[in-house]
Amino acid sequence: MSPLLIVVLRVLAAVGLLLLNGVVLIYMLRKVLGRLHLRLGPTELGPAGMFQTMADVVKLLTKEDATPGSVDRVLYFLAPAIVFVPSLAAYAAIPFSNKIVAADLDMGLLFTFAILSLMPLGIFAAGWASYNKWSLLGSMRSIAQQVSYEVPLLLAALPPVMIAGSMNLGDIVRAQHGSVWFIIPCLPAFVFFLIAGLIESNQTPFDLSEAESELVAGFATEYSSMKFGLLFLSEFSNVFIFAALMVTLFLGGWSLPFVDPGLLAGIGAPIIFLVKTYLVIFVFMWIRGTLPRVRIDQLLAIGWKFLLPATLLWIVITGVAIKTGQGLFGGGS
Amino acid sequence: MKFFGSGILNGLRITMRNMLRGPITVRYPHEKLVLPERARWALELKTDENGAHLCTACMACERACPDFIIRIEVTTGEDRSKHIDRWGYELGACMMCGLCVEACPFDAIKMGHDYELARRNVADLEYSLITDEPAAKPKRKAPAPAPAADTEEASDG
Amino acid sequence: MTDPRHLAGHAGWLTPNPPHQVDFVPTSLTRAPTGVDTFDTERMVLNMGPQHPSTHGVLRLLIEMDGEEVVAAEAVAGYLHRGIEKLAEHRRYNAVGTLMDRGDYMSGIHNELAFALAAEKLMEVEVPRRAQWLRVLMSEINRIASHLVWYGTFGLDTGAMGQFLYAVRDREVLLDILEDVTGQRMMFNYVRPGGVVADITTSAVDKIQAFLATIDMYLDEHDALLGGNEIFQARTRGIGVLDKETATAFGLTGANLRASGLGFDVRRDRPYAAYDEMRFSVPVAEEGDCYARYLVRMGELRQAVAMVRQCIDGLPEGEHTAKVAKVLRPPAGEAYAAVESPRGELGVHLVSDGTEHPYRMRYRPPALYALQAAEAILPGTMIADVVVILGSVDVVLGEIDR
Repeated sequence: MSPLLIVVLRVLAAVGLLLLNGVVLIYMLRKVLGRLHLRLGPTELGPAGMFQTMADVVKLLTKEDATPGSVDRVLYFLAPAIVFVPSLAAYAAIPFSNKIVAADLDMGLLFTFAILSLMPLGIFAAGWASYNKWSLLGSMRSIAQQVSYEVPLLLAALPPVMIAGSMNLGDIVRAQHGSVWFIIPCLPAFVFFLIAGLIESNQTPFDLSEAESELVAGFATEYSSMKFGLLFLSEFSNVFIFAALMVTLFLGGWSLPFVDPGLLAGIGAPIIFLVKTYLVIFVFMWIRGTLPRVRIDQLLAIGWKFLLPATLLWIVITGVAIKTGQGLFGGGS
Repeated sequence: MKFFGSGILNGLRITMRNMLRGPITVRYPHEKLVLPERARWALELKTDENGAHLCTACMACERACPDFIIRIEVTTGEDRSKHIDRWGYELGACMMCGLCVEACPFDAIKMGHDYELARRNVADLEYSLITDEPAAKPKRKAPAPAPAADTEEASDG
Repeated sequence: MTDPRHLAGHAGWLTPNPPHQVDFVPTSLTRAPTGVDTFDTERMVLNMGPQHPSTHGVLRLLIEMDGEEVVAAEAVAGYLHRGIEKLAEHRRYNAVGTLMDRGDYMSGIHNELAFALAAEKLMEVEVPRRAQWLRVLMSEINRIASHLVWYGTFGLDTGAMGQFLYAVRDREVLLDILEDVTGQRMMFNYVRPGGVVADITTSAVDKIQAFLATIDMYLDEHDALLGGNEIFQARTRGIGVLDKETATAFGLTGANLRASGLGFDVRRDRPYAAYDEMRFSVPVAEEGDCYARYLVRMGELRQAVAMVRQCIDGLPEGEHTAKVAKVLRPPAGEAYAAVESPRGELGVHLVSDGTEHPYRMRYRPPALYALQAAEAILPGTMIADVVVILGSVDVVLGEIDR
């Protein structure tokens, strides 16, 4: 086989796995929300309704792709792709284990955030091109919310980086091997990252850009068929990425405490990583099943008046702590 | 412990507690609930022990129906015996209020318990509960215990 | 509010888009810094409903927006109009209840009761004491069911989904009870002039006892889940304030009025059925905002539970209905009777000409007045608040459109 073909096949396999991941996440959301709400979730298709989301994907693929008359056609078709591609690309730098990482970048964290900040562009394009007032309102909100929270999100991710002394996500995990998970020294940063992550990935209680009780379906109102499917999948893909980032930065990545990393090499590490990530996603869904939604002005107020100063303050505290007590955290350099 | 966010955490605790209570779903086509005795669904005709309908074609139900969906077509024979050509019941327009059952002086109809009433054709919602049958002879006994105000039509103002 | 021209697509109500220099700054617009208004912005007209997810049925709201801010709002009702008042003129007296059920479909018992009370006033019937108590019992069960739906949809309006399903779990039990006693889950056709159709069943009593055993805990949970939530409080406190003057000017009744600090309750102040024998208090709140309305309704839920307890414990023996004719012909005259439905004072004005059909029936739907009041306080709020305010005043479109 030519090396090119192998590369292509690898990429396709990765994309396929990621899509499957999204489908599994949707199934999980239905089941978890169902159980939280005293329901069963899907039950009919396959054991415990497992094939329901696959069937829905097939349905979305075969549905009529209705395009409203007055949309901006180029943007309307482009927008789901602009939303979807970053959500796949962001997987690249996430280390599933010591070895399994698509691109072992020294600036892995920065790369992930940079890729993800392309998403509002796509969402805005979707809302703008749809020629629908609800979509426009939703995408406007999305822009306001994502732009406001890029900064606190990055700032909240900095304390682990400071302690680990590297922006390489693999190095951050390895730094947590030797000492404690960074959630213990950086608990406030973890909470800030959780809030900012929920906002960035449009999760309840901050799902303002598609607030269904206010904006019908927000930026996705006019989308149908697989274009809607892409928007929907990318949302779940985002959730996965933020959960994975949280696991990587704060919860020790693929490692377990008091377990020799050598034991986990091979198949163990990615499984631990996935389990942790899915647990974090479960918390996201739990929050989604419980909380009401905040209002847009309140959301922005939380960001600028609380989260931004608080993250900055915590960075200062972390920095001072690292300098005054070198070696207080095992991974400190 | 009244700090900001305690309500949110408490809410999370409550949803988790509810989750642990387990689902209350009744998986409908697979399992069904028992209807209470008085549940009112589609109209049914009662029969005696021989399987003969009790309807005497007195038309009380037809007059009582607020939606005019009961239509009893009767031919009266020479000996004043009644013959029901068709006992028409328009299920699609029935709101199952039970007024016809209350009006029936012979306790010949009841609200059934069959609630799976969806039909593929609108025409199937037109029921003929009796076609071409002689009406029962009215037995002039005390009116059957209808669940409603069951005095005979009095002569008030 | 409802001007038939709008139904024909006439848009003359709109204030014209501001010219180049924006000179219009809504007086209530305080959140945006003043510098913003020098941009050349346009306003947007949003058509919210009748198929919007949170307009509680088929309400249509025309909203003129300045960004996220509402500048003008108008409610267009009438999409569910069935002509209940006119239809009643062609129904026998004991068949009007079927129509009344379909008015405010969340609280059919109250609707039937209002009509039955009016008809009894005309006929001057003495209703047996047990029937009165049964009416109170069923009313309060229906009130709990209705308030639970309000609670759940209010949760949905603020964006929380669990509340609705938890509330519906409890309401399911109540609907089972109502089905057991009346025969149907929502369109009861149970309360008639003279009494009630049938006596309570033993199985229903058992179900009520089982319900009473758990409801207090569930109500505490509901309260903690929504009312105790800081996000919910931030969304409702100080939002949609209806002060005493506005409330009285719009003729608000029920929980919406009591949340504005006026403790008027038909059950207490003009008692009907057996409410003069019940011990209950009337929750009142002063603030008049959405949170006050929430508190009042949650208080009412607990009062209703207490009344169901009293009814079950002290249900007197006797007949469930007075001796009335099968075909009622009340003497010519007029009568007005009002009940406290979950939404407020629900009145029926009945004119009889001595025949077996009412000559005229007028139906006073409390939610209509609530909707008009809500419409008046919408300008100056944000679009997310519109949904919350509408949810807080608890409108049922079946009642408004009749």
